[in-house]
Parts: sequence; C-alpha cells; structure tokens
Amino acid sequence: MRKYILHRLLLFVPSLLGASLLIFVLMRLVPGDIAEIIVYQAGSESSTVQQKQVQEIRTELGLDRPVLVQYAAWLGNALRGDFGQSYVQSRPVTEIIRERFPRSLELALLTLVVAVVWAVPLGVISAVRQNTWADYLVRVVSISGLSLPIFFTGVLILWALVRFFHWLPPLEFVAFFDDPVENLKQMVWPTLAQAYYISAPIMRLTRSQMLEVVRHDYVRTARAKGLAERAVVYRHALSNSLLPVITFVGWWGGRLLGGIVIMEIIFSVPGMGTALVQAVSNRDYPTVQAIVFVMALIFLMLNLLVDMVYGWLDPRIRYA
Amino acid sequence: MADQTGVAMGAASVKVAEGDRGRGIVGSLSWFAARQPLGFVGAILVLALVVTAIFAPALAPYGPKDAAFAAYVPPGGEFPMGTDHLGRDMLSRIVWGARLSLYVGLTSVLFGVTVGALWGVVTAYFGGAADTVSQRIVDSLMALPPIILALALMAGLGQSVTNVIVALAVLLVPTAARTIRSVALSIKEMPYVEAARGAGATEWRIIFRHVLPNTMATYIVLVTVNIAYAIVVEAALSFLGLGAPPDEPSWGGMLTAGTQALETAPWMIFFPGLAISLTVFGLNLLGDAIRDLTDPQLRGGLG
Repeated sequence: MRKYILHRLLLFVPSLLGASLLIFVLMRLVPGDIAEIIVYQAGSESSTVQQKQVQEIRTELGLDRPVLVQYAAWLGNALRGDFGQSYVQSRPVTEIIRERFPRSLELALLTLVVAVVWAVPLGVISAVRQNTWADYLVRVVSISGLSLPIFFTGVLILWALVRFFHWLPPLEFVAFFDDPVENLKQMVWPTLAQAYYISAPIMRLTRSQMLEVVRHDYVRTARAKGLAERAVVYRHALSNSLLPVITFVGWWGGRLLGGIVIMEIIFSVPGMGTALVQAVSNRDYPTVQAIVFVMALIFLMLNLLVDMVYGWLDPRIRYA
Repeated sequence: MADQTGVAMGAASVKVAEGDRGRGIVGSLSWFAARQPLGFVGAILVLALVVTAIFAPALAPYGPKDAAFAAYVPPGGEFPMGTDHLGRDMLSRIVWGARLSLYVGLTSVLFGVTVGALWGVVTAYFGGAADTVSQRIVDSLMALPPIILALALMAGLGQSVTNVIVALAVLLVPTAARTIRSVALSIKEMPYVEAARGAGATEWRIIFRHVLPNTMATYIVLVTVNIAYAIVVEAALSFLGLGAPPDEPSWGGMLTAGTQALETAPWMIFFPGLAISLTVFGLNLLGDAIRDLTDPQLRGGLG
C-alpha cells in the first residue's frame, strides 16, 4: 500500500508542475504583452510616453526576463501562498482566492452530497425493480439529465424561479457561518441544478453495476442461506457495486469544477468560477493563472484521493 | 405496455435480420431502424442537423446578423421563433447556429483527434524517454478540468471562432493521444509488424503503413463520441461569453442573451436550448447505436 501511495504521489507533482507551466506559458502567448495592455487601456498620453511606461511596467513586473526565470519566480512565490497582485482589482490575488474559495467549495460539496444521496438509492431501486414503472421513470430522468446541457437546465430553473416565484438573484452573498438559513436559500438552486446533471450518470452506473452483481454466486448464496432481501441488497450487492461508482465520482470531479463555473454565473454566486470568468474577460492574468492553478491542484488531489480509496477497497489494485 | 412494444420490436428485428440479408439501402435502413430504434431516432436528428447546416442560406429567411426588425417580437406570424433583443430573427439565427455548431464540432474534433492519434502512435512506437516525457505532458494537460483549460486557452488566444476550434482541439488531444497510444502499443507487437521490419521497411513506413491504419477503428469511435462533446463545450464557452463573439449565431451565446430578458422574452432561451439539447441527444443516441453495433459484447447489454 505504501509503495502504491508513493507511486501516485510521484505522478502528482510533475502533473501539477506541468499544468502550471503550461498555463504560465499560455498567458504569455497573448499578442502584445500585459504591460502594453495595461498602458493602452488606461492611456490617453502620447505614444512616446506610452512606450516609456510599457518599458517601466515590464521591468517592474519582471517581464523582461526569460520565461523560465519568470516561471521559477512565480512558482517560488506561489508555493509561499503569494500569487501576485491582481491587475484589475488592486489587491493580492491570494486575498481574492481566500474570499471566493469557501463559497465554491460549499457549492461543490452540497452538489456531491445531494447527487449521491439521491442517485444511489434511485439506481438501486431501478435495478431491483427492473422493467417496472419505477425503473422506467428513473431511466427517463437520468437520460434527460444526460442530454440537457447543464447551462440549459440551469437557465430553465432560473426562468421558472423568476417567472413563477418572482425570485431575484441575491444582491449580496451571505456566508454560511453568518446566516446558515439565508446562505442555504441562495445555494439551494445552483446545488439542485448541478446535482440533477451529475446524478444522471451515477444513477445509470449504480443500476448497471447492481444488475451485474445480483447475478453473482455469492448473492445467490446469501439468498439461499435465508438472509432478508434487504440485507442481500444492501450488504452484499450494493457494497460491491459501489466500487466503480466511486472512481466515477472522482472522474466527474472535473465536470463538477467546470459545472460550478457555469452555475455560479447563472445564479450569481460570487465564487471562484465567477472570479475566473471575470478575470478572463478582463485579461487579469495573475488571477486567471492562480485560479487555474488552484483548480488543477484540487482536481489532482481529488483523483489522488479516489485512487487511494480504490486501492484501499480493492486489494487487487494495490498489489498489481 | 412498454414491455410489449419491446418484445414486438425484438421479434420484428429478428424477422428483418433473417429475411433481409442481401438488402438495398431501404432494406438496410429498416434493418437499422428495427435493430436500433433509438439509434434510428438519433440518425434522423443528426440528419436534420446536417441538412439544416448545409442549406442554412436557403432555409433561413434572413441573415444571422440582420438586425432590421423590432426587438422582442413574440413567436408567430412573420417570425416563427420571435426576434431577439437586437431585433434579429431567432429562426434564422438558430438555423445558422446549426452550421456554426457543426462546423466548430467537426473541425475541432478532426483536428484534435488527428493530432492526438499521430502523437500517440509515434510515441508508442518509439517508446523510451520520448514516450515517458510525452506521457507526463498528457498528464499535465489532463490535470486541468476541461472547461477550465478551455477558459484559460481562450484567455491566452483571444475571442474568435477559430480560437474556439483551437481550444477545443487542445482539449481533445491528450485523451486521443492516450487512447490511441494504448492501441498502438499492442499493434506494434503484432507479427505483421515484425514481418514488415524483417522485410526491411523503415521505421516511418511501419508507423504510417502498418500501425496507423490499424488504429482507424478507435480513431472513428473517438471522433463520433467527441463531436457532441465539442458542440456542448463550444456552447458552454459562448454561454460564458468567452467563446464565439456575441454577434455570431452560437446557440450558447443566444442563450446568454436570453437570460438578460427572462421575463420579457422566454422564447430567447427555449429555442436555442432546445436546439442544443436535440443535437446532443441525437448525436448521443446515434453514437451509442454505432458503438453497440460494432461491439458484439455490448449487444443486448444491461444498459
């Protein structure tokens, strides 16, 4: 097990470094560098003054150094928790992330919990009562969840809220620890919309896994020795069906992070996603870089966690 | 009720399959329809999309950027799908949107999967340090959640339809490279590759004449599966206002415009949303059917 974990960790570090270098280089592909953008967006002065300003900003930001040197400097600071200064909001990027991160984390956790809590039992019911109306209902719900793009479901829910309940997007975000009720009122719709989207494949996978597992010999043995049906389904069949479902939850982590960006935009939640979209359209590169870095870190940690849980649950993998 | 239709369909498919082996086009179509009823629905939806995209100039009553009408006209009469906030005909924009979606989806997937396939085959064939380094690059690309990577690419490249295609292609390269690499790894151990090498073929000749053509089946599956994905991601990027420029008839962008006028003009969200959903639904159904027909293990599976 230790060797397995070590191996996973050894893959983790280069992936993260590679991803951050990639983003770093990408942000420097922009036609006309950051210094020019800052000056020409602000400036009404003559071109010679602007030229001089561009040079000054370049030296100030260290843009005149080779890219790899810049990257090393950025990485060194990032590891100490300093992502530089936002170009648009005049404050450190770290402060923006510290403010936004808990909100997105809350939305992600709520979504995952809601999705799993309703998808797994529905998947089980659908498998146990195969080819009954309950099964068809679950399948229709899950297929529609797979086919409707998340931004369309989100917008439809928003429309229904506005049209029938005269709901208005919250003007100000309330943190959970300030006022839990008000906070959950703001979070409930983006959570449900995204949970609907994410639960569809979980439902389908649980169902097909259950259908496969209940045909195994040990399930027949469990029935034959007179165990209650409930015990057979939950103790024997379900616990063995969940293994692939768990890896799947990890794989969906990526879509979850992407979905959060969309949900935050639709339901005006001021989280990491809204910050990222704003930063991209404002060309606020330090912020884009930092948020993408943090998201890659989370995504990789999620995958690492899933690998470990998987290895812990299934001995065949860790010894392979 | 549904059970009975299922059985009836099953019986019909057996009959058609038995009596119709040397069939013409109509015969094959009805065989496919009976065998894969959902796939057939998918094929019709995809056909409708392709026809709309090709004949957009003839089908659309107006140009996609003509803003010569009153804003927010409800659907009906002269404008079957109403007009948008700038007074453009929604029907025309939806029709032209089909062309944009299909164009972006097809080119980005072909471009991305082809680059990925070449990359995968070459690194699998040569192995060694180049392969290890290339696997780490693939890992790095996959360390970024897809939408996030696409957003970062759009930030670096700037907003335009071409750049959306480039960004989508970049998203697809690592998955394609990894999948094709694993296929190529087993192909390169085949006796016929050995034989070619024995006959004195050069490395590149083996790669392009023997290994690459044999990854074709995987290549085709990768392309079909990813078109729907690329279309959704394009719509998502445009929805976030970071994909195609706002005046382009992108379904995602039209949806965003609709969210600004939810109460006054709900048709501005319904029609583009419906167009995206039907397209994705059709492509997924067709893709599933093709996969089921080509993979005997999945025939009559548990779904």
